[in-house]
Amino acid sequence: MSQKQDVFIRRRIEALAGLLALGLIVLAVRAVDLQWMQAEKLTDLAEKQRYRQYTALAPRGSITDSKGRRLAESVEIPSLAAIADEVPENRIKVLAKALGVSQKKLQRKLNKRTGFVWLARQVTPAKADAVMALNIPGIRKEMEWRRYHPLGPETGHLLGFVGVDGQGLEGVERTWNKRLTGEAGIRQVRRDARGHSLPGGIWLRDPVPGQSIQLTLDSTIQSIAYAALADGVAKQQAIGGSVVVMRPKDGAILAMVSWPGYNPNNFRHYKPGEWRNRAITDVFEPGSTLKPFTIAAALASGRWQADTKVFCENGAMRVADYIIHDDHKEGWLDVTGILVKSSNIGVAKLALDIGADPLYDMLSKAGFGHRSHTGLSGESPGIILPSRRWGPVETANIAFGQGVAVTPLQLATAFSVLANGGLFIPPYLFMDQKQSATSAFVRVMPEQISNQVMSMLEYATSTDGTGSKAVPTGYRIAGKTGTAQKPNPKGGYSRGKYNAVFAGVAPADDPQLVIVVVVDEPKKSHYGGQVAAPIFRHIAESTLPYLGISTHMEDDTAWRTMPVAHQAPVLQAKNLYGMSMREVRGFAAQRGLRLHVHGSGWVTRQTPLNSISLKQGDELEVWLND
Amino acid sequence: MRSWLRPWLILPLMLGLFSATQVWLSYLRYDLSLETQALSAEKQTALKEISKLRIEIASLTRPERLRQLARTKLDMAPPNPMQVIHQ
Repeated sequence: MSQKQDVFIRRRIEALAGLLALGLIVLAVRAVDLQWMQAEKLTDLAEKQRYRQYTALAPRGSITDSKGRRLAESVEIPSLAAIADEVPENRIKVLAKALGVSQKKLQRKLNKRTGFVWLARQVTPAKADAVMALNIPGIRKEMEWRRYHPLGPETGHLLGFVGVDGQGLEGVERTWNKRLTGEAGIRQVRRDARGHSLPGGIWLRDPVPGQSIQLTLDSTIQSIAYAALADGVAKQQAIGGSVVVMRPKDGAILAMVSWPGYNPNNFRHYKPGEWRNRAITDVFEPGSTLKPFTIAAALASGRWQADTKVFCENGAMRVADYIIHDDHKEGWLDVTGILVKSSNIGVAKLALDIGADPLYDMLSKAGFGHRSHTGLSGESPGIILPSRRWGPVETANIAFGQGVAVTPLQLATAFSVLANGGLFIPPYLFMDQKQSATSAFVRVMPEQISNQVMSMLEYATSTDGTGSKAVPTGYRIAGKTGTAQKPNPKGGYSRGKYNAVFAGVAPADDPQLVIVVVVDEPKKSHYGGQVAAPIFRHIAESTLPYLGISTHMEDDTAWRTMPVAHQAPVLQAKNLYGMSMREVRGFAAQRGLRLHVHGSGWVTRQTPLNSISLKQGDELEVWLND
Repeated sequence: MRSWLRPWLILPLMLGLFSATQVWLSYLRYDLSLETQALSAEKQTALKEISKLRIEIASLTRPERLRQLARTKLDMAPPNPMQVIHQ
């Protein structure tokens, strides 16, 4: 090999080594750039690719009644959304049809913004599936929690409702929103190249599920009260009403209903005024239902006894420049008679004699003029002026329930004092409050006085009293009717507009329930004894047996004459196909037919075919089949 | 047989075995992870189904509905209080 060739080869080797060195230097620079200069950014990118965070929604806590029956529960249901600028113009018509909205409306919604937009929130799974099946670009299904109240209008006013964003907006749902609402958790997981999660995920924030709440409510009693109130309001063509049922021994609220009802599952279809819980928000003049407390104050003063006679001025009495009237003219009545006959003049005289302070103390200690602290929002404290502002006219008026305003819940709490032997126990709605409620009792009046007033109230529901229609057969009831003119917003009282009230204790000999019924503006009659007392009876006669409180019957002939249950549809039937054995037997028994039955289940064949023409003693043969 | 077994081969063999075990374990973990995810999803579905069923039970057994069914389908009427006896 010549020297020239050697040099050429060396040069080539050197050039190659130089290129390799250059390449190595470039690689080293790039490595420094990637590993050092861009390390942070690239690590972030890699982690974003490798790790995924997702939000685990925490469901809202459920609400149950005292027996654990569900009153409110959340379920996950789909909502439909879109990335507005990704939805093709030519698919909008089809999408609008599937969503059940006009094309114009949908177009407007999509044109409003370019990014995420809700199309329909909380729709049925079938509808969501139908829309997703169209496979329209930009359309997505999101899952959201929706609140359901299975009892609907029956618990509507009390429980309130929850908005689409999961926030309680009314009632218990609003008051206890913080406790019921869960806190969403964030979980981070590593993913493989196919997007599957790898083990070892961590919670960046633990989800906190909403806590459940148990109420003292009994859904059966709630339903009974709602049905009775609805029936009573309809019969009297009233504009509304409310009922509170309490257990006096511990202050538990067993039912609280208002009419007209609204469905909390569909609350937007009702006016906001219809959402209010009348039993705690609406105040009314209690009228004669306040008289037991005036009488209790008079007896507690020691100046009056149950048999002390009072002259009731034959129906009219002047107090300062104001004349007090009685509905029925009365002469001499004892204190019991004043309550039984509901004499305004009688109680006014008692109140004027003892003075404003003892009466105010009695009313205040019984819970009037204070919020009950059940935790429900929107509760009114009622209106009761301080006694220093009471002149003789105010004292006389307040004695028979005018010039003060109370809520149905306050009235029920006050009657619980009479039922509890003079002890005030604050009402409570949440099971958790039980201990604090029962330990916070206050003596309002001596037990002997409350027992005396209870006896008088029992007379008030006798056949001579105003509340006789409140008494279910077999039970002793202590109660008082009330009829109060509604105040006119412009001053004075409205003509022909009344609140009919009945407040009572059942049974009087062993108080288990206090029930207050208020009916707003009844049209057929405005007397508490005619309007509210029958509703009270309806509730008491269904609730007491349900609670296991037996009747005490001296004359037991009544149950022997029990009316036969409704059977009209059977009698009108032309043929018996599809009837049960029980129905067929009822049909045959009523018509005096000789019945031959084959099989069990439902009637599939009969002889003769026409049942209507059969006369007493005729033969009827039926074949039943499961 | 002993002709090819050399002491220096033990290290690569151990390393190979360890690597194979690691690969097998990673596959096992991956499968378990998939299974856990599936079970977790199944659990969530079951919980949601329970919620729905609770609502359904509450709706079907609501007193107003039972009252109506008793009246219309079974021709029943509310008992008088003295017809109810508690032992």
